[in-house]
Amino acid sequence: MKPICLNAFDIISLSPGFDLSGLFEKPNNQKAEARFTTKNSASAIVSKLEEIAQMERFNVKKKDGLVQLQGIKLGRKGQLAIEAEIFEVTPTFHMVEVKKRAGDTLEYQNFCTKELRPSLKDMIWTWQGEQQQQLPQPL
Amino acid sequence: MGCVYSKKVRRSPGYEEPALLASETPFTVSEVEALYELFKKLSSSIINDGLIHKEEFQLALFKNSNRRNLFADRVFDLFDVKRNGVIEFGEFVRSLGIFHPNAPIADKVAFAFKLYDLRQTGYIEREELKEMVLALLNESDLTLSEDVVETIVNKTFNEADSNGDGRIDPEEWKEFVSRNPSLIKNMTLPYLKDITIAFPSFVLNSEVEDADMAA
Repeated sequence: MKPICLNAFDIISLSPGFDLSGLFEKPNNQKAEARFTTKNSASAIVSKLEEIAQMERFNVKKKDGLVQLQGIKLGRKGQLAIEAEIFEVTPTFHMVEVKKRAGDTLEYQNFCTKELRPSLKDMIWTWQGEQQQQLPQPL
Repeated sequence: MGCVYSKKVRRSPGYEEPALLASETPFTVSEVEALYELFKKLSSSIINDGLIHKEEFQLALFKNSNRRNLFADRVFDLFDVKRNGVIEFGEFVRSLGIFHPNAPIADKVAFAFKLYDLRQTGYIEREELKEMVLALLNESDLTLSEDVVETIVNKTFNEADSNGDGRIDPEEWKEFVSRNPSLIKNMTLPYLKDITIAFPSFVLNSEVEDADMAA
């Protein structure tokens, strides 16, 4: 399970100051992706995601820093499929990008808010996602 | 109020004809017209003068006109080609053209270099890279120890600065990007390719006359 390494320029490019989509989007546009940082190791992150998958009845596929969760239940727009990609900044500082691959955006957001984020709570350092504001977590 | 422009067609400074802009950017004429509708919206959000001011840019990006951001400042300054403190329509379209999926990679690489060359010395210095990393961490409410920041900056810098002179020149940057293509990922906005489809409200609006540009 080898995560992609981020270099300094990759990190810089994460800034919302570079995200010009705001010029085009309507304010209530819901994004189906989120990002969080963690001080845990890549394998700890993967294990946790597998744990969550098992509890919420998702099938898990792993490859090179990419963890894919495929829902078994049929939702409003088919099965929910979520992808988490792990990037290494330093061995003790990782960034995880969570995206919806298939299914209903609302269901995806519910899953993130009600299941994913609370289960990952202890691992999350900061969370940047559907909410505009970032909540600084106590270290 | 002095009326310099005719009632029907009132254009702000820096306006360029869609046909001209289409011929010099990857956009089609109707895409440029769609961009004009977007431009009118952005440029009238705070000061209604047909020019995008920094606050209007910040408002569009962050939904907050007062939110300062180092990187947004750099983007704004590069869009403001004439460096007169505002983004005019021509500048807007030409700069966005570089973000088009069909724009030449060389243009994207060069634009990214200028973005990161904070003090416009023609080189990306180590201090500038560190400053940008710190700015990103700061805006994300992340604190990393000095050691870790140094490690990240050094590792990247050593990879990119192949002649070891303590700064990244445009040639080194080009080579670095060719080894790491994801570095210019943020220089392409895929939805620019079908802007009239992706943003249908603009197609509807371009049939409306410019009659209600405030005097």
